[in-house]
Amino acid sequence: MKSGGQALVIFFAALALAGLSAAVHPKKPSFPDRAVAPGEISLPEVQDWKEPILWVDARLESDYEVEHIPGAVSLNPDNWSEQFPHFLDGWRPTEKAVVYCSAASCDTSREIADRLRRSGVDPVYYLKGGWEAWKSTR
Amino acid sequence: MTLLLNSRSQGLLALGLRVVLAGLFVVAGGLKLFDPAAFAVEIDRYQLIPWWSCALLALLLPWLEVCVGISLLTRWLSRGALAWVTALLIVFSLALLSAMLRGLSIDCGCFGRLWQSTGTFWPLVRNVVLLGITVFLWWQPHRL
Repeated sequence: MKSGGQALVIFFAALALAGLSAAVHPKKPSFPDRAVAPGEISLPEVQDWKEPILWVDARLESDYEVEHIPGAVSLNPDNWSEQFPHFLDGWRPTEKAVVYCSAASCDTSREIADRLRRSGVDPVYYLKGGWEAWKSTR
Repeated sequence: MTLLLNSRSQGLLALGLRVVLAGLFVVAGGLKLFDPAAFAVEIDRYQLIPWWSCALLALLLPWLEVCVGISLLTRWLSRGALAWVTALLIVFSLALLSAMLRGLSIDCGCFGRLWQSTGTFWPLVRNVVLLGITVFLWWQPHRL
């Protein structure tokens, strides 16, 4: 069998297994809407919360200084070692921490949320759509 | 390099590289199989294709990588598998390059969320090296 034919056989084998995943996998993606990843939270959900929220701005400090969500603290990979002790001073365990970065394409909010979780801050989420999602509702 | 190595050394090198390539694809696909929903979000972060196709790819790509890896390991349909490896590495590299050029701050998503690799530069370099290995293997048809 030539390379093309072999490639087709492999493709159909993978397609059959993917179909099986689509049917039975407990973590299969939802087709109509973008899935919310573990730890990710949408703005409408946050706005429905009754509990106090501690916003964490994971963007660059220069962006934070220009504008940020009211009450947000700046915490990003560059200032982590300097700012994290201050963050702990201000954080109360009754608060839900929500981290945001610039937009849906950035990954810093997830990274900071993971770091906070590993440091014992719980619950902590990262905002779907980030700062752009927040600004679009203002 | 082909001229400098004798036939036996060349065969051993091809075998070693084939096993490495196959292993990487099996691991990369296998890790993504745990959580296709999370992998779909990783693909979506590249902002290249609509969500429904991210979801479709998140179901298909991990199995394709696993099948390709097993084919390379077992030498069953290995020419077809090598064709897929070449095509996938080119597509992955173009996606990474596009993310870099647009300044997207995202994880590569190459190994799912269980094994995260930061940024897009080093995964791109790795893909280019793997493409080099693939080209070498294409020149060893009798050993595939």
